[in-house]
Amino acid sequence: MTTTATEDPRERPGAGHPARDRVSTPGASGSSGTSGAPAASGAALAVLPGVLASALAWTDAHRTRFALPDDVLEPHTQVNATLKPLGELAQLGSTIRRATAPGTPEHELAGDLVTYAWEQLHEGALLLELLRAEPFAAYPYEIYAAFAGYGLRHEGFEALARPLTATRAWAHTEQHANRQLGLVNSERRVGVLTHTDAGGVLSRTWLGGLSEPWMFEGPSGYALTHTVFHLTDWGRMPDRVPERIDGYLRTWLPAWADGCLESGQWDLTGELLAVAASLPGPAPGELLDAVWPVLADVQHPTGCVPETGAPVQDPAPDPYPFIDCYHSTLVTAFAAALSLRSLRGTGERGETGGAPPGRERHTP
Amino acid sequence: MFTTDTTATDVELDLDAALNPGEVEGLYRDSRECAYLALLAGGGALLLSPPTPRPKKG
Amino acid sequence: MDQTHASSPLAGAVHDLATEVVLALRSGDHLATVCGAAGIDEENRTGIAAVRVIGADLLLPSVLYGRHPHPGDVAVLDRAVREFPPKPDAPAATAWSHWHMISTLQRMAPPAPGAAAPGTDAEPDAAWLEEAPWQAFTHQLSVLAPLAVPAAPSAVQRAAANRAVDLSRGFVRAVRRRDWLQAAGAGRWLAAIGGEPATLGLERGLDFVEQMGGHDPRVTLHVRAARLMAEARAR
Repeated sequence: MTTTATEDPRERPGAGHPARDRVSTPGASGSSGTSGAPAASGAALAVLPGVLASALAWTDAHRTRFALPDDVLEPHTQVNATLKPLGELAQLGSTIRRATAPGTPEHELAGDLVTYAWEQLHEGALLLELLRAEPFAAYPYEIYAAFAGYGLRHEGFEALARPLTATRAWAHTEQHANRQLGLVNSERRVGVLTHTDAGGVLSRTWLGGLSEPWMFEGPSGYALTHTVFHLTDWGRMPDRVPERIDGYLRTWLPAWADGCLESGQWDLTGELLAVAASLPGPAPGELLDAVWPVLADVQHPTGCVPETGAPVQDPAPDPYPFIDCYHSTLVTAFAAALSLRSLRGTGERGETGGAPPGRERHTP
Repeated sequence: MFTTDTTATDVELDLDAALNPGEVEGLYRDSRECAYLALLAGGGALLLSPPTPRPKKG
Repeated sequence: MDQTHASSPLAGAVHDLATEVVLALRSGDHLATVCGAAGIDEENRTGIAAVRVIGADLLLPSVLYGRHPHPGDVAVLDRAVREFPPKPDAPAATAWSHWHMISTLQRMAPPAPGAAAPGTDAEPDAAWLEEAPWQAFTHQLSVLAPLAVPAAPSAVQRAAANRAVDLSRGFVRAVRRRDWLQAAGAGRWLAAIGGEPATLGLERGLDFVEQMGGHDPRVTLHVRAARLMAEARAR
C-alpha cells in the first residue's frame, strides 16, 4: 500500500459546518440547507476580534466568581471549584496578554485579570500556606508556575518548593504523560532543573505516539491539546513542536474539529483551535476559517461559551451556570488571541517579565 | 411481467433513496473513566485540565 | 431471503446480494452465479433493483480475481442497466454508478461481434466533486465505492487520487461518527488509490470497521475489496 511518508505542513481544506447533509451535488436530495461551500478566506479574521473582546468582557464581568472562599485551605473545600478556575484565569490571562499588542483593551484587561488572580492568592502567600498544608501535592506548584512564568513570584514559596522538587519522589510522581509534561513546563517557568527530558515524556503521550487518528475522542482529545499546551508553554513557543507532530496535527485537526462541532463539544473545539494556532510556520488558515465562524455563532451575546450541547437562545445574562461555561469561555478567549496572532503573522515577544525560554535542562 | 408483489412505484422510490443516500446521523459517545482507576491516577486537581466531569442535568 | 432487519423488500434483497458477493470474494470461486445464489433472476424486479444498488460490484469477484464473470450475472447486470437508467434530473452519483455499470460490462463481457452493445455514455460531470468540501466529497465517494477498482480509470477516480488526504480525513470523520458504511467506502478508495498519510493506520482501521459494522454485508464487501486491492498493490 502506497502511503505518503510525511504529511504536507501546508494546510488542506478545513472543517465545515456540522450539518449532516452538506452535500451540494447537482440534484442531490435530502440537503438540510447548510451551505456546503468551503469557508471563505478571511472568515476567521472577520469574527475573531469580536469573539475575543466579548469573551474577555464576560470574564471581567464575572471576575468575582473566580474569588477564593475564606475556607479555601480547609480539607473539605473542592479544589476543582476554587483554585483550579483561579489558576486557569491566571494562565489563560497571561497568555492572552502576551499574545495581544500593548495598548489594546484586550491586553490591558488580560493583565488586570492576572493581577486580580494574584491578589486573590495574597501575592503568593496563600499558595505558600497551601503548600505547607499539602507539601507533597504537585498542583500548588503548577498553579504557582502559572504566575512565575509571568514574572509574579513569591520567595517563601520557592524556598519550600526547592527541596521538594529536587527529590526522587517528585521525579517519580505517577501521572499521565501529558500532565508530566505540564510539570516539566512548570519547572521551566520557575527556572529549576527539569526532573526529566521533555522529549522522552512527549513520546509517551497519545500525540507523541502519532496515534491512529480514527481513535480520537474526548479523553484523547484533551490529552492531545494539553500535550501541545505544555510543550509550547501555552502557545508561546510554537517552534518546540517537532516537525513530525506539526505535520500530523495539520493533517488531522480538520477531521477532529469537525466531529467536535457536530457533537457540540465547544470546549474541546476551542482547545483544538488553540492547538492549531500554536503550530510553527504559517497559520492553518482554512481550518481556522471553517471552524471559528461556527464557534462565534455558539458564543452568547454576553460573551460566554457553553462547554457542550445546544447553545441557549435566551439573550438574558447568565444563560449558563458559571461552572458550566467559565472554562470554555476562557479557552475561547485564549484560542482567539492565539489565532489572531497566528493569522496576522505577528509572533509575540514577551514584554511582561516572562522568563527567557533558555535552554532546556534536565537532571542527569 | 415481474413476479413480485411489490409495486413498481415502491421499488423505484426505494431505489432512488438507495442510490443517493444522505448521511446517517453521527453517533458520538466518549469512553468513560472508571472511578477506581481515576483515583489511582492521583487525586489532586489537574491544573488547567479539562473541565471537571459533572453530572449533566436533563 | 433474510429480511428480519431489512427496512424494505429492496433493502432485504440488497442485503442478500451483498452477502453473496462477500461469499464469492471470500472463496475466490466465481463459478457459481452471485445472483442465482441470492435468488435473483431477470424476472424479479426487486432483485434487479438490488443489482442496480450493488451496481458493478456484482462482478467484483471476477474483476479482482481476473476471471470471466458468470453469464447469468452479466445478463442480470445488463438488465439492471437497461431497466433503471438514470432519470434526467438524477443526482450525479446515480449517473456515475450507472455509467460504471456499463463500462464494467464492456470491460468484463464485451458483446459478441454484431450484437447490440449497451449505449456507450460519455463520463458524467465530475467538476462538482473536485470542488466539494472534504466531508461531502468523502460521503459521495463512499456512495461511489464500486468505482474504486483497479484498472478502471474515471474522472471520479482521478478526483479521489488528487484528494487522498481529504479522503483520509473523511475516513477519520466517518469512524468518529460511527458511520461504518461510509468509513468502509472511504477506506476502499484509499486502498485502491494509495497515498493516504502513513499515520492513518488504514489496515487496522479497516479491520476495526469490519468488526464494528460487519453486520451490514456492504461494509464487509468494501473492506474485503480494500484488502484484496491492498494485497495486490503490495505485490
